[in-house]
Amino acid sequence: MHPVTVLAAVAAGAGLLTWIAAGRSKRLGPAPHGGRQAPPDRGRAYGRRGAEVTASAAQRLNHASSLLAGSVLFDSSLEHYRGQFFNRAMYTPIIVSSITLASSLHGAGDTDPGRSGMRHAVQAVAGATGLVGFGFHAWNVGKREGGYSFQNLFYAAPIGAPMALTLAGLLGVAAERVRDADPDAPRLAALPAGKVLALATAAMLLGTTAEAGLLHFRGAFQNPAMLIPVTLPPLGAAALALAATREPGTSQADAKAAMWAVSAMGVAGVAFHAYGVARMMGGWSNWRQNLIDGPPLPAPPSFSGVALGGLAALELVERHRSLSSPRRLHAPP
Amino acid sequence: MHPRKDHFPGYDVLAKRDTPSWNAKTRAVIDERLAITPETHRFLDKAAFATLQAVAERIVPQPSDRTPLVPVAAMVDHKLASGEHDGYRYAGLPEQGEAWRCGLKALDAEAQKAFGAPFSDLGAWAQDGLLKACEKGGLTGPAWDGMPSDLFFKKRIIPDLVRAYYAHPTAWSEIGWGGPASPRGYVRMGFDRRDPWEAAESYPGHEDEAYAENLRVGR
Amino acid sequence: MRMGEWVPMRQFRDGEEIDFVVVGTGAGGGTLACSLAEQGFTVAAFDAGPYWRPLEDFASDEMHQSKLYWTDERIVDGENPLQMGSNNSGKSVGGSTVHYAMVALRFRPEWFKARTLLGYGADWPLDWREMWSYYDQVEDDLKISGPVTYPWGPKRPRYRYRAHELNAAAKVLARGAEAMGIAWTPTPLATVSAPRGDSPPCVYRGFCTLGCSTNAKQSVLVTYLPRALRAGAEIRDLAMVGRIETKGGRATGVHYYREGRWRFQRAKNVVVAGYAIETPRLLLMSANREFPDGLANSSGLVGKNLMVQGNQAVWGDFDEEIRSYKGPPSLAVTEHWNYEDRGKDFFGGYCYMSQGPLPTLWGSTQSGAHGLWGEALVSEMQRYNHVAGLKVVSEYLPQERNQVTLTGEKDQYGLPIPRITYSWCDNDKALNRHGLGFMGQALAAAGGRNIWEQRDDTCHLYGTARMGDDPKTSVVNGDCRSWDIPNLWVCDGSVFPTAGGVNPSLTIQAIALRTSDRIKASARDGVGGRA
Repeated sequence: MHPVTVLAAVAAGAGLLTWIAAGRSKRLGPAPHGGRQAPPDRGRAYGRRGAEVTASAAQRLNHASSLLAGSVLFDSSLEHYRGQFFNRAMYTPIIVSSITLASSLHGAGDTDPGRSGMRHAVQAVAGATGLVGFGFHAWNVGKREGGYSFQNLFYAAPIGAPMALTLAGLLGVAAERVRDADPDAPRLAALPAGKVLALATAAMLLGTTAEAGLLHFRGAFQNPAMLIPVTLPPLGAAALALAATREPGTSQADAKAAMWAVSAMGVAGVAFHAYGVARMMGGWSNWRQNLIDGPPLPAPPSFSGVALGGLAALELVERHRSLSSPRRLHAPP
Repeated sequence: MHPRKDHFPGYDVLAKRDTPSWNAKTRAVIDERLAITPETHRFLDKAAFATLQAVAERIVPQPSDRTPLVPVAAMVDHKLASGEHDGYRYAGLPEQGEAWRCGLKALDAEAQKAFGAPFSDLGAWAQDGLLKACEKGGLTGPAWDGMPSDLFFKKRIIPDLVRAYYAHPTAWSEIGWGGPASPRGYVRMGFDRRDPWEAAESYPGHEDEAYAENLRVGR
Repeated sequence: MRMGEWVPMRQFRDGEEIDFVVVGTGAGGGTLACSLAEQGFTVAAFDAGPYWRPLEDFASDEMHQSKLYWTDERIVDGENPLQMGSNNSGKSVGGSTVHYAMVALRFRPEWFKARTLLGYGADWPLDWREMWSYYDQVEDDLKISGPVTYPWGPKRPRYRYRAHELNAAAKVLARGAEAMGIAWTPTPLATVSAPRGDSPPCVYRGFCTLGCSTNAKQSVLVTYLPRALRAGAEIRDLAMVGRIETKGGRATGVHYYREGRWRFQRAKNVVVAGYAIETPRLLLMSANREFPDGLANSSGLVGKNLMVQGNQAVWGDFDEEIRSYKGPPSLAVTEHWNYEDRGKDFFGGYCYMSQGPLPTLWGSTQSGAHGLWGEALVSEMQRYNHVAGLKVVSEYLPQERNQVTLTGEKDQYGLPIPRITYSWCDNDKALNRHGLGFMGQALAAAGGRNIWEQRDDTCHLYGTARMGDDPKTSVVNGDCRSWDIPNLWVCDGSVFPTAGGVNPSLTIQAIALRTSDRIKASARDGVGGRA
């Protein structure tokens, strides 16, 4: 059997096992904290986010984590296939992102507050794996002729790429912790969860921008559209930072709009990259070369992933309830 | 000197003919080259062509079990007949066609003088001896008509025969070259890296892997 | 030009007196024709070769692609006869830029005043600062893909596109340079590393010197000539110019052979841009009663001071697979010995680059320079994928005895075949020793084994219509205008008084843009030009 088939089977199998181990997906049901939740939407038994702000935000965080993990899964598969799995460690991100994706998807469908230990563990592993990958890539860049030069940052193992897995893990871990938090005043690491997450996702956006900026600089910004991912996400990051400074309960419509814009950009980026592949010599009919030499199709959605994390943060900030102010969003039945 | 062996088992550059590595123009050009048969000659007469074939076998020897053989002599004759020049010639040499006719006749004459037989009938040892003397400028019989034999060897025999041989797909497969490459070029450029559409070298103990890989280059 | 696309082109009648006839469409002629047409002049540029459509006409094949080279007969002699054709002469619209290795390096500033500042050769009538601005322009027009910072010489603007990924052969150069403690850099190349208009990025197919079939290469054929057409210039291909006509001390047009007969195109100005063999040949062939020694030849220097550059190499075997056939052949370069004058026992400098010979070239090298044939050759050739080499581009000195003359033998047009006489001087030999010695050490330091020296190769052509400040010691002035005939210009590598230690195309193109500006200025002043 071709090694690529084996690898795909192993990755898929690992994902499935993770899904099963995380337990059957829970559906809408009474929250343990009792009381403050919206009525079940009777028309739709599935897909509705948990009514508790913590569960809802956690699911959003899992969406973010899913997108990032998916991006890493496809991107690292493509790039490590290009690198011929020269080092056995190059299989790692594929397996890990695959279980991360399974775990995040599982969480995304879980409307319950309360964390899953399994998912939490998997996400933590993803976070750590990304860091190790970063170390590997940094070592790969440095050992090349010319050391830490632009040339090697362009063409050696992409130094920022493994961090996307770390981001997936971080957001995934945050999702589980948020599930455990008090819905009235959710806290993460003893700080207000919304603010922490807003600032964290702002930083993540800037990091992702740096990666895109480096690679688009390598492409000489030959198409003006290549400037969008280095301008829009920093604006989004600024909006998030601003949101973190606002009073709890203030409307965050502008920041949310910015996150949706970044999110859409990530999806549109795939189309732009597909156009980029078509512009390579031989276009799509030369896909075996151009899919790996052209602009990477799976990369842009990592922006969408981080932006969804930002949305979760905004949800937490917006709906963070001080005891003095009644919650407007949930009228009694 | 490494002994000649099959370093790229199973590799045939022609397997890539219908992949994106070959464009239409390349297919047309190579098809035309492959249509040249070993016995085709339009420029040289029969005797001169036989001598050229014998010289070619010494300059770029081919495995005796190879079929079909690279038609080196016929490719040189093709070049002479079509009048493609190199863009320069040494002051001591006549025009390429004249130089070849004269030189082949002279080699034959030297063979007759030294061994009493035409060059093409000699054994490899005797042929190599004559060619080495030619290379050193040691052949100066009247048949050379004043043409220095070393110039003829270095500026006609060697470049024309060697270029013809290594312009043939069989020789490309023998040295593990990727062959034509357009529109598809290459992706993996570092040390010890190959694309799946490149020849895989056989390393001791891994011959079967190389063979399997080489059967896949045309996919 | 896209697959199957047709492009409209203006056509002049022979009897029409156009502003400029440019003979040659390569780095000099093509660039100048474009710029003149964009300045508003009427221009027809002639080329003896065909107007290729790379996407449709170029095969991935060494033997077939020799159709790009100037393979008309030329006789070579001297102590070190030159190899002509493949590596230094093009016969296609776009000239040698169609098959060059795209290396786009600037001159070291001091070379423009080599005599005064460095003590050898001759001074140029050009100022390096002015040239620096024209280099900027060419680098922008060609969107050179180069390193983010260039290690040598005065500051230059950032290259418009990023450098290409290095192949293993280039990494060998880098390893060697790092072991020897000298700087190296990815080579600035005229092939795009990202899309540009109809040019896709380079796919690393490795056939650069045999014509780029993807149009990634920013040759004159795909850059300046389409612009020239849009600006109303005519490119007349398959037109061999055999004689320039003069009357009353001025050029009046050119006799050319096209479609089976000789014709005459009238012109107000004639620019000769046929490179350093065909340019002096045309000037000499145009001898008439007014100018019995050939046109522009009152100094007697037309055809003299022929220069080439050393292109010697060291080759070695590596344990790793190198497969240098992938990617542009010269992805890494070091100009260390162009900018470092200490430790030299010779005048001049050199750069050296990584290499990527394809099979017939490699076979010719192993059999020619290395002297292998028989079993020794075919088995050594099987090491092809494990070989890497370093090759110089080195500065040989101008000597009057190195020259282009006419023989009595005639070519297919009935024109006299040129004789090219070339010999090294002692300085050239000292430079060869230094270059080969240093590169040999570098290659060994990079892990090369069984290292051998290729001593026979040269590249590029210069000097046979040199520019200068004095009509007695030069053929043209700094504006590339001939001293003797005010409406006759020379614009190609022939005008170089010294060769420098880098590939010439960028400098030729910068000079062409400058010449165009100078023509525009003089036309405005009513001198020469439109007359």
